[in-house]
Amino acid sequence: MNKGKYYPLFVAIGIFLVLFIFGKFAQGMWEPVALIMFYVAVGEAFNVFLGFTGYVNFGYVVFMGLGSYGMALVVSSSSMAGLGPWILIPGFLFAAIMAGILAAGVGAIALRLRGAYFAIATIGVNQGVKFFIEGAKIWGGSEGIIISKPLKVALGPHLANAVTTFWADFLVFMIAILAAVITIVFLHTRLGYGLIALREDEDAARVMGVNTTKYKNIAFLVSSILAALVGATAWCLKTTYVFPDDVFALSYTVDAIVIVMMGGTGTLLGPVVGGLIYGILKYWLGILLPGFQLLILAPFIIIIIILFPEGIVGVLKKRVRGKKLEKFIA
Amino acid sequence: MLKIVNLEAGYGPMQVLWKISLNAEEGNVTALLGPNGAGKSTTLMSTLGSIKPWGGEIYFEGKDVTTLPSHKKVEMGMTLVPEGRHVFPNLTVRENILMGAYTKRASKLMKESLDLIYTLFPILKERPGQKAGTLSGGQQQMLTIARSLMTRPKFLMLDEPSQGLAPKLVGEVFETIQKVQSDMGLTVLLVEQNVDITLEVAKYVYILHEGTIKAEGTSDTIKHSEDVRVAYLGI
Repeated sequence: MNKGKYYPLFVAIGIFLVLFIFGKFAQGMWEPVALIMFYVAVGEAFNVFLGFTGYVNFGYVVFMGLGSYGMALVVSSSSMAGLGPWILIPGFLFAAIMAGILAAGVGAIALRLRGAYFAIATIGVNQGVKFFIEGAKIWGGSEGIIISKPLKVALGPHLANAVTTFWADFLVFMIAILAAVITIVFLHTRLGYGLIALREDEDAARVMGVNTTKYKNIAFLVSSILAALVGATAWCLKTTYVFPDDVFALSYTVDAIVIVMMGGTGTLLGPVVGGLIYGILKYWLGILLPGFQLLILAPFIIIIIILFPEGIVGVLKKRVRGKKLEKFIA
Repeated sequence: MLKIVNLEAGYGPMQVLWKISLNAEEGNVTALLGPNGAGKSTTLMSTLGSIKPWGGEIYFEGKDVTTLPSHKKVEMGMTLVPEGRHVFPNLTVRENILMGAYTKRASKLMKESLDLIYTLFPILKERPGQKAGTLSGGQQQMLTIARSLMTRPKFLMLDEPSQGLAPKLVGEVFETIQKVQSDMGLTVLLVEQNVDITLEVAKYVYILHEGTIKAEGTSDTIKHSEDVRVAYLGI
């Protein structure tokens, strides 16, 4: 039964590889591919929590935002400039720690709530953090942090340029792979079984001896830290600035929800498929029909959800049950 | 096997249980009878640790387990079949059953438990791949009982297993409970509103009303006590 349980991971990595090669070598394709990968990574990270617990974290973007702040604070601190390119390591660490601390705190309180109550509580966290940064004027307040200069100082102008145009996107690929690996590990371990049981019925999971509180918190923490890594890379390093209005925009949470639902919650390949469709539509609709993209995107998403109520991969998984393809889809 | 002393519990500011004490003797079926809102489910949930007791003590096999979290109690051999049908709807029947063997102790005995479950519940063996949410009400109740047995309990609490079932099915469920209890040598604490059948099955009965124990005795004593019957059981 467990033979080939990691095959779906190879499918995901295969898709990433094709995307990467296509983006790298086809003229002018790097930008759309980077956008698609950003959405895939956002979806995979979000799915670690939503897919395994059934809880919707509306405050998801706050962890992406804090992650980008974490990276920006490290890069812009003069005491670390001597590290050269190694500065990115404490940058990622700090991003993860900041998101981790907030996730542990929020989880300990908000995860006592269930379903819709949890969702409402988490919206407040995002707005709270944003207004706190702006109101208390910490970390540049509403003006944010611009790291283009310190990044050049630390990495040298040549490498700094390469980071913003290529390496930041490449790291997003890596984070997407990391999130996919975590997902497949979850799918096949005691922790994952416990989470799936609690997603299905929390009271029943508890009487089976699942430590529901602990597991929910672990999934929440892991998902939040992955989000912080995505934020630190795709926002801070790529754009070289962090503005509170941008990095705490609720719309990114909505993007994540749509990607995961469209692709299939709790599946490994769901966020990949969802991110692909979402990224492609968003990018090309924006070019072909500027101003009309939402008008087309919204009904399109509604149609997909009607046709594939369990997400595209969720429905596909049922179709291939008992066939050879089965072990490649999860 | 299980001893509750002066247990008090509630929700928010509202106290539900007022110093209740009861004893579930090893190898027997003990029942807790009472009307809606008497505190029966609260008693079971605070015994397993789903809600925190406000006061009093709970002893399991002589050990004080009052403040232990539920997952530790399940590991020790207690479990609960909660009220209503709590199957994992999108998992298959087989997956539901296997989830029962979640604790370390139970997972070691999984194969053996599975054989046992399939002999006790042949219907579940017939449809291992069916989604649990698509089973009928009676089958779902059987599945939740089977799944709880996979945790290899010594002490099983059942919260209104007859709820929402047709009379014929109620009989079947209770027959199963009795069979399981005697085959596996379980100690059972049964919460019910169905008085007749409970008095048939249980050896010792407590009457819970408005959060306190109003009467107790062997099933025969309760059956023949005019006062208790008229006041609390409505028969």
